Amino acid sequence: MSDFIFYLIAGIMVILSMLAVSLPNLLHGAVALVGSFFATAALYIMLQMEFLALAQIALYVGGIVIFMLIIILLTNDLGVDNSLSRVSLSRQVGKSAIIVGLVLSLFLFFKYNPSQLLTATHRAAPVSIDQIGIRLLSTTNGFIVPFEVISLLLLASLIGAVVLSRRDTKKEEK
Amino acid sequence: MTLSHCIALSLFLCAIGIFGMLTRRNLLGILLSVEIILNGANINFAAFAHFRAADPVAGAVFPVFVMAVSACEIAVALAIIISMYRRKKRLDVYRLEELHG
Repeated sequence: MSDFIFYLIAGIMVILSMLAVSLPNLLHGAVALVGSFFATAALYIMLQMEFLALAQIALYVGGIVIFMLIIILLTNDLGVDNSLSRVSLSRQVGKSAIIVGLVLSLFLFFKYNPSQLLTATHRAAPVSIDQIGIRLLSTTNGFIVPFEVISLLLLASLIGAVVLSRRDTKKEEK
Repeated sequence: MTLSHCIALSLFLCAIGIFGMLTRRNLLGILLSVEIILNGANINFAAFAHFRAADPVAGAVFPVFVMAVSACEIAVALAIIISMYRRKKRLDVYRLEELHG
């Protein structure tokens, strides 16, 4: 049963991601990406990480993709790529051949390597939200330093975004 | 569902993202493909934490940092895209060639 649900979720994710990178209209691609991220949240729940699933929906679906949708609507004409700005089909086939070769070689490497990297030792207990909160802010073996650094990074990138996207007022006055 | 299944899935997602990065000519499309790659990396973290790690909480914390950094990246990249759109009126990466890259 668990295998069947995994294959279902994985199939949905792969198909929607393929659509997201190959649909000619960027707006449709972003909507396909929303579906792919929801499937990823379902996978996190299967891996017993409920906090990650919540963060995935709140941050990716609710934040990043919506932000990208707004920018698509602001810049292009409803995300329509004109036919001139498409890579030609032969180049697409060549690039996909390169990528398929890369994936196949990685796959064979993982299948035939002698190390025991991919043998599962045990299944971990479910990770609860309390544990994650305590671990994030604990000073002994926790993640308090990256947590604070991330907050500084967020502040810096927000200020940077405001500065970068600001109109040049001097030119308008002239 | 075993560890190998999850690794294969994240490998597929990474391949799809790289394909999108190579074939899209629109800046926003490239950004969208980067999100798919990061998603695959997060699945990798979660799968290894679930199946192998002695301490799964650390594996659950790390994707949160990845998400925060990707939110920062999106904010800055979209500001750059907006200012570039104002200047050029198009986002085709083959035509943004002032740096002769």
